[in-house]
Amino acid sequence: MLVVTREDNKTVVRPSVENIVAAILPEMRTKLRALVEEGVRDLEFDLAGVNMVDSSGIGLIVSAYNSLRKVGGRMTVTHVSPELLELFQSMRMHQHFNITGN
Amino acid sequence: MSRTSFILCELRVALPATLQAVEEFSVEFQRRSRALLDKANCFAAELLVREALTNAVLHGSHGDPGKQVRCSLRLKGRCLLIAVEDQGAGFDWRAAWNRKAEFPDDSGRGIEILRKYADRVRFNQRGNVVAMIKRI
Repeated sequence: MLVVTREDNKTVVRPSVENIVAAILPEMRTKLRALVEEGVRDLEFDLAGVNMVDSSGIGLIVSAYNSLRKVGGRMTVTHVSPELLELFQSMRMHQHFNITGN
Repeated sequence: MSRTSFILCELRVALPATLQAVEEFSVEFQRRSRALLDKANCFAAELLVREALTNAVLHGSHGDPGKQVRCSLRLKGRCLLIAVEDQGAGFDWRAAWNRKAEFPDDSGRGIEILRKYADRVRFNQRGNVVAMIKRI
């Protein structure tokens, strides 16, 4: 569900599913929590293959950001489709972490 | 002179109140809508359907798989009509309508998404039926 790679000092997570939505949330949430507990502090969420993120998926991304922030970490969201970029901006996510389009 | 809008597509389904059923239906909706709508409208329509169905499962039905969620979709002229009904007690949509989640909230964005992407949103008095119009 999440492919994790280390690139320099950064950890990149790439969902292996097209939709980050309520149905797949528990597994993804557990995996992200485990990464922070393992000591990851610089996380890139690469959404290149993702078509849809619903309000639950937004909650997951915000939750990951909150966990990292608590331990002094940082997060970026990259390769976001134009439709998702508009959604994230309308939910004011770009005011809290860096989001870049594809 | 009267102007007639033809129904281009109509679909009514009853789903078990599970997130898995929502996912399977949404994927099928995505596949069908790609043949009828452009990319931006496809995304908006799918997001509205997902949010309404997920709310009906999680909040309306409390994830009880013995309950049903009904969904009807109708593409008529340049309007997509989406209606979702659950078997729950309903909710106080008037209190929730203007809700706007702010950081660090990791929930509470569903209604805001409906407000942004639908051209019209209506709830019944009880709050267990939502009907939306999306102009395409």
